Amino acid sequence: MHKLIEFRNIVKSFDGQVVLKGVNLNINENEFVTLLGPSGCGKTTLLRILGGFLEQDEGTVIFDGQCIDKVPPYRREINTVFQRYALFPHMNVFENIAFGLRIKKLGDDIISQKVNRMLSLVNLEGYEKRSVTKLSGGQQQRVAIARALVNEPNVLLLDEPLGALDLKLRKEMQRELKRIQQEVGITFIFVTHDQEEALTMSDKIVVMNAGEIEQIGTPLEIYNEPANAYVARFIGESNIVDGVMKSETKVRFDDRDFDCKDYHFRPGEVVDVLIRPEDIDIVKPRDGVMRGEVKSVVFKGVHYELMVETKTGTSKTVMMNVVTQHDLHNPTTQEKISANDFYVDSEDLENQEMTDQDFISIANAQAWDEEDRDISLTRVTHNIERRPGVYSITFGTEKKTEITVKVYVIHPEYVEDARHNIGISALDFFITPDEIKESMAISTDLKTWASAEAWNLQDDSPVDITDVKFDFDPATITEGSYEITFATRGREYKVETTSRHETGDRVGLSFDTEDIHLMRKAVHET
Amino acid sequence: MKSFFRMSYPYILWIGIFIVAPMIMILLYAFSVPGNSVLTFQFTLDNFTKFFGDPTFMRVLFTSLRIAFLTTVFCILIGYPAALFISNLSEKRQTMMVLLLTLPMWINMLLKTYAWRGILMNFDLESEVKVFIGMVYDFLPYMIIQIHTSISKMDRELLTAAYDLGANKWKTFLKVTLPLSVPGIISGITLVFLPAVSSFVIPKLLGGGDYVLIGNLIEIYFLNAGDWNFGSAISLIMALIIIASMWATKKLDRNADKD
Repeated sequence: MHKLIEFRNIVKSFDGQVVLKGVNLNINENEFVTLLGPSGCGKTTLLRILGGFLEQDEGTVIFDGQCIDKVPPYRREINTVFQRYALFPHMNVFENIAFGLRIKKLGDDIISQKVNRMLSLVNLEGYEKRSVTKLSGGQQQRVAIARALVNEPNVLLLDEPLGALDLKLRKEMQRELKRIQQEVGITFIFVTHDQEEALTMSDKIVVMNAGEIEQIGTPLEIYNEPANAYVARFIGESNIVDGVMKSETKVRFDDRDFDCKDYHFRPGEVVDVLIRPEDIDIVKPRDGVMRGEVKSVVFKGVHYELMVETKTGTSKTVMMNVVTQHDLHNPTTQEKISANDFYVDSEDLENQEMTDQDFISIANAQAWDEEDRDISLTRVTHNIERRPGVYSITFGTEKKTEITVKVYVIHPEYVEDARHNIGISALDFFITPDEIKESMAISTDLKTWASAEAWNLQDDSPVDITDVKFDFDPATITEGSYEITFATRGREYKVETTSRHETGDRVGLSFDTEDIHLMRKAVHET
Repeated sequence: MKSFFRMSYPYILWIGIFIVAPMIMILLYAFSVPGNSVLTFQFTLDNFTKFFGDPTFMRVLFTSLRIAFLTTVFCILIGYPAALFISNLSEKRQTMMVLLLTLPMWINMLLKTYAWRGILMNFDLESEVKVFIGMVYDFLPYMIIQIHTSISKMDRELLTAAYDLGANKWKTFLKVTLPLSVPGIISGITLVFLPAVSSFVIPKLLGGGDYVLIGNLIEIYFLNAGDWNFGSAISLIMALIIIASMWATKKLDRNADKD
């Protein structure tokens, strides 16, 4: 195929922010090429540079063997279908389409002949005299395409043209665009962030990310053999886990060795392992290569999307002491006050991270006047020291209504899970039955009361606690001690299946050797 | 709705006493002979035949229309490039420029006209030129603001689309920017032509005693000559001219919309 357009090392930045970091790309004649990426990846900028509406800071654009860097947009043999169509509101459909021909000063009969041919190409016969402002989104879209194509450009640029249409119309226009491209036989360069759109229409997809090209390939290549985890995540659904090569055809992940195709990785190399959700089959637990528990089920129309946890996360169990604590009533001021005993981590005291406000919230200290209005607690006195032991703290209002509770300073055991690289901590706590009953979001409140937190052992960054397990009914809780387990996310696999499963089911997962795709670890972090 | 309607009663009363009643009186005066009271009304067309029969009056009418027309044309010629320039500035600067333009509008017109009288005294110019300068100065901001509003409402992407389709900057202006700013020009014309044709302060202060426009004519007949009947007739004629020109511009506007 003949090479029509060549981007050579295109660099562009706006206000010091680099949008394109040296893009190299070749586009052939008669190709339907899609620039795919999230907003801000530079795809529209690249298109605008080709259209001549923006000038690159560095690099060259070659068009049909000629450098076109200095050619103004109106002399380029390129036309554009704009994101919001940009139809001329003061002209009817016919005049909009005829615009480019009138500029070229063609004869009236030739213009009307060409415009009519375009109207039938985009299925808008009979709309000549309509005002463009009164057309539907889909019809405006067609006028915009006709207005560009009537100039018989070598290349048509389409800047997210289907973004404003509803789903049904979008699908229709996808087919329509593909048909038009095949009929007129010119190069279409289509910009979108919609992976499905890209897969349906393109001959070639260019996946972009943060001003760089991640992968160029046919839709099949991009889907089946994504170059890296970024592309895999962007196109289709994916499960991506860390793996290590044991030999050229053996990869280890999730503590097991799996046979795989030869992807030319050296033994010992660290790779990203991709398994598409539709390639995983749900089987009986003993028949699966992995076993797990169904965590969630989402109905997607044709299939169900399951999340199956094959390994639990890092967890820590604490005791919740439910005790009834009576509000203290001050007869002289008519004020009431309450607070709970609490545990505190001696390390938090050493770092002097605890303020009076922290004590108030951890003890859940509150005060009310006779009309049940909240009063602020202005006095906090305590004898708390860093040494583990039992201390006391007194909370008081302006009018000297006071309550004293016990503080247990302890050296809690952290759970440090070296294999997952995660640490987790939580403290025992005291709480009243009423506070549990009044809680609107019990899992979140339990996390707060227990000061539960998890972190990455390497860089101390916080890790989400996704699972709070407890064995009581918040509505009917009575005094006593209860175990609560906090856990981080374990290893979960997304599975697409047509058979029905319930949350909590034990299932086996099975997949074939060729369903395991190995990808080079991305060098840059995004 | 009904209760809202009742709230408009005071306003209707106000309009009735201060606008409708005087208009009816003007109508009655215009078609009656001097010395009439409402009870002894005597119909006549003399006031109109007097106006249209006298070349002096016709010359005054013609001069008024001519100077208003020239003022409007010059306001467009100066105002359009100015508005175009302003709408190409950054948003912040546009606000600043519009503020600067409207600033003189806060100053009393009489004061501004007196200032012009002082300036123009030093130049040996014809009365009509002085009046013309005063009018263009006074009405120009209205024109610029109207055109600027219509240009800045325009989608910038339309210009990009025109370049894309092969139009250079000049062709883009002619085929896109100009037609889309016609509504702004039309409302600018309404805001400039109508006050210009009926203005009497500017010609009085800048034109000297001998320079008379139709507004001054009305003033003279009501206040100096005491001939309310003839004064009313001239007012009526001017009102009809204004209504006719408003109708014409509306029609122009609608035609521009259709294309």
